[in-house]
Amino acid sequence: MGALTDKYCIVGVGETPHMRPSNRTTLSMACEAVRNAMADSGLDPSEISGMTSYQYGDSCDSAAVASSLGIRLDYAVDIIGGGNSTETLVAHAIGLIEAGYCRNMVIFRSMNGRSGLRFGGQDPDGPVPVTNVSSISDMWDAWGFTTPAQHHGLTCMRYMRDYGLTSRHLGEVAVAHRRHANLNPKSIFYDRPLSMDDYLKGRWVSKPFRLFDCCLETDVAAAIIVAPREWAYNLKQPPVFIMGGTARTQTPDASYRWNREKIHYVGANYGRHRLFGMSGVTHDDIDFVSAYDAFTFTSLILLEGYGFAPEGEIGDFVEGGTLQIDGKLPSNLSGGHLSEGYTHGIAMVIENVRQLRHRTDDSCPGWREGKHTYDREKGCRQLKKAEIAACLAWGTETESSAMIIRR
Amino acid sequence: MPGSIDYSLINVKPDPDTKEWWDATKEDRLLVRQCNDCSKKFFPPFPACPGCTSMSLGWYETEGKGMIYSYNVVVQPILAPFVPAVPYITAVIDLPDCTNEDGSITRIVGVLTDDEEAVAIGNPVEVVFEKSEDSEYVMPRWRVTGVAENAWKFTGEGGGPVGG
Repeated sequence: MGALTDKYCIVGVGETPHMRPSNRTTLSMACEAVRNAMADSGLDPSEISGMTSYQYGDSCDSAAVASSLGIRLDYAVDIIGGGNSTETLVAHAIGLIEAGYCRNMVIFRSMNGRSGLRFGGQDPDGPVPVTNVSSISDMWDAWGFTTPAQHHGLTCMRYMRDYGLTSRHLGEVAVAHRRHANLNPKSIFYDRPLSMDDYLKGRWVSKPFRLFDCCLETDVAAAIIVAPREWAYNLKQPPVFIMGGTARTQTPDASYRWNREKIHYVGANYGRHRLFGMSGVTHDDIDFVSAYDAFTFTSLILLEGYGFAPEGEIGDFVEGGTLQIDGKLPSNLSGGHLSEGYTHGIAMVIENVRQLRHRTDDSCPGWREGKHTYDREKGCRQLKKAEIAACLAWGTETESSAMIIRR
Repeated sequence: MPGSIDYSLINVKPDPDTKEWWDATKEDRLLVRQCNDCSKKFFPPFPACPGCTSMSLGWYETEGKGMIYSYNVVVQPILAPFVPAVPYITAVIDLPDCTNEDGSITRIVGVLTDDEEAVAIGNPVEVVFEKSEDSEYVMPRWRVTGVAENAWKFTGEGGGPVGG
């Protein structure tokens, strides 16, 4: 166990709807998400002490959000980053609160991910008109090798060759996450079921990836609040305890991206020992996960990297509905980036928090009081057994963050 | 064959880390970085040696023959210059003449001149310099030159040996 295991909690969560397009500023959306998270926790603006966010120069900063909401901060910082940032900033929050720099921390991500900076690579209206090539990282653009679908597709293709992974294994992820989205009224694909046949009929984006291997792009903001355990007991929601984590941990092999001997080894392959060691639990203790699904394959390679299946066997592991609600290891219960909407990971943490509170915002009339039917036909999304969750975050091929949380 | 790339829409203005690399393409030369102190070869051309941290760096001219390590068939174009080229193949290519004594390998990414039919993991490729009136610099592309014994290709729901 880590020295600070269970000493800090996630006490509040909030978000805006997923929009396409929002017709709003990232500042406006961030204010709504932070306001909702404060209301969820019961914390007053005068009690908020720290704020942080992650972005790619595509968003507002913490100071502006705090000013807008009348919050006077003791600590504010905004970092560059995407899909591995929420868990990283939770680590920052714990360290900073422990050291006395602030008393709690709001973490938010606000992005016009469809109408503004699109991480799929296109401009809002279509292909980028001119390709500018200057630096090392631009060289790939000159070769038309520019979008994450191509970068991850390349790793996936090699993994298929080395270990016999098939499209149907990828489809297991798409179908599972879509089923969860069909139980989540907030999700973009709430009304759109997806069968394995539907998945296989999807048009090609970049082989081996079809349309439903790739995540949505949405405009959205979401926020969580981290506070010491002592605060959490006096707030509105059942506390969710942070057991341990790993933050932007890099691959064992320092070589650049595809120069690594094992191209499918990601930060997770190294971070797993830190994650489970600090948390003091084993894989068998994990009831459900979020596994960053920018693509179906990123979920699979994270699950394998964090040790949920032996090397090369993640395809067999997910066969037969493993990742579906009531399956052996339910994954991305809100529908994830594939089917709920795209938030650079923070919405997955929010879903896990709600599941652990047993207050998932599904179609059960009594969900706010924790009353669930567990009847999937009637739209219940709450897991019966939701004690411990693993949040597995992506980022680049070289880095990964994760944390384990419990009720 | 894939359609042509619209080089008029690619604006290459190399920075100091990449200038010499791009200049060499005008002379049909394909370079990787080589450390003047420990001889390590690497790509892309970072400003320091990942083996020994030396910043005294030269270049090694590869013969430009390699094997396909992995590939994609890009169907949905993201960048306008590549809109007329789809579907095109991007590949990561092993460069055997740039393998280091410590076993570390050097790979490069490129666009093939072939269509999907000729492409398989393991197949040998060689560099071709595609000249265009629209581009000051020359794009290195890659041409498949044969079928490897252990070649593997994606066939729609998975993959297998070529012809197997």
